[in-house]
Amino acid sequence: MEIHQKRYRKNPNIVSRKIAGNFILVPIRHNLGDLKSIYTLNEVGTRIWELIDERTNIGKIKEVILTEFETSGEEVEKEIIGFIETLNKIQAIIPT
Amino acid sequence: MDCYNLPTIPYRKFSYPLHDKAAKENIPIVGELDLTMRCNLECSHCYCPRDNKKKELSRQELCQIIDELTQAGCLWLLITGGEPLTRPDFLDIYTYAKNKGLIITLFTNGTLVTPEIADYLQEWPPFSVEISLYGATKDTYENVTQVNGSYEKCLKGIELLIERNIPLKLKTMVMELNKYELEMMKSFAIERNLEFRFDSLIHPRFDGSKFPCQYRIPIDEAVEIELKDHLRRRRWEKVYQQLSKNQRKNNRLYLCSLNMWSFHINSYGRLQFCIMAQEPSFDLRKESFFNCWKKLINVMPKLKSKQDNKCKDCELFSLCAPCPAWAKLENGDPDTAVEYTCKIAHVLASKLKNNGFISKGGRVDDRDEEKNLQKTRGI
Repeated sequence: MEIHQKRYRKNPNIVSRKIAGNFILVPIRHNLGDLKSIYTLNEVGTRIWELIDERTNIGKIKEVILTEFETSGEEVEKEIIGFIETLNKIQAIIPT
Repeated sequence: MDCYNLPTIPYRKFSYPLHDKAAKENIPIVGELDLTMRCNLECSHCYCPRDNKKKELSRQELCQIIDELTQAGCLWLLITGGEPLTRPDFLDIYTYAKNKGLIITLFTNGTLVTPEIADYLQEWPPFSVEISLYGATKDTYENVTQVNGSYEKCLKGIELLIERNIPLKLKTMVMELNKYELEMMKSFAIERNLEFRFDSLIHPRFDGSKFPCQYRIPIDEAVEIELKDHLRRRRWEKVYQQLSKNQRKNNRLYLCSLNMWSFHINSYGRLQFCIMAQEPSFDLRKESFFNCWKKLINVMPKLKSKQDNKCKDCELFSLCAPCPAWAKLENGDPDTAVEYTCKIAHVLASKLKNNGFISKGGRVDDRDEEKNLQKTRGI
């Protein structure tokens, strides 16, 4: 499947928390890749996390981010996709 | 736009700034929750009163409180007691808190850890489990706990958690009954590659009974074990070196209330500043956590120490760190000195002064502490 068509859903075994302006992902169950880590997301990462659901493909997420953060460029697009792939790698999200 | 890579940062680089921010904004980021005052052991030195007339929080009430404290910004939650595993609904409450994204530490005596509970904790891992070890031999351990067979059960509990790689630490309260086995307990932990810590400051029971105090070790011995421990000695030396810089700069009764970011909830649903400070407290059965927290952060800084508080101008203040709540338990008056800790501070100061405050054995650095830190990733 072409990368932009891919869709993901959030892993129910990772809980997101917003505390003192920090957006944090807390793994809660053993079947996750790296349970010893806690993940903090910056503003863009947080927005991407919010956008991830099984109805929204990567292409759409990328489009929203580029619009909302008024940015463009091949490098930025690569970073967005790279970030989503990282979330997938750490099993914070699951391909649908 | 920032880069999206996931650099690994040490746990404390994640934790410290978050604590700082919480302190500045009075966010209750760290909490302690007593699930019960009941226990299957009868430890001689225990500070928990048994009051069967009081009604402990139900599972439903606890879940409601967990909802509210999570919403208020709590991230680190210590589940303790009494012995939390005496509650038949322990796993339900634990799972509920896990599902809220709380980072949980569990204090237990370990004797009620079954293979089923250990399996469950492996599946839903806590940040850490801390087991109190009361002796290195059956005789000593059970002389403290006063329950036959408890030593084997504790060892079994430790073994079950180790087998499953559950983050485990051991600790002990050093008292007259077990002081001869402190080194053996340390070795027991080291052999199993577990962190170990000890405390020798026994305080009265929360109902005011001084029964536990009879098990305190003599002051000279309390100081000796503090200074014998390499890391602790180094910490005391640092405090001693900075004594003159750390004099009191205000007249708050609870100096530790300067920045409020932590709380304690007892098993009857009272929100307190800490486990020791029984008052002021606010009833979570009557009001939301948020309202009670607001009241707590409002009232604590207003508590002032009296003019005749002799600890106020003591030059050893930071070496002793006098606790008004402890003084209230010990003497009925938070503005008084706790004679035991006061004397320890004086002996400690004199030893540090006489011996100089440079440790032998070369540089001690934070690497040992670093080893045990969990890694954190940040984007």
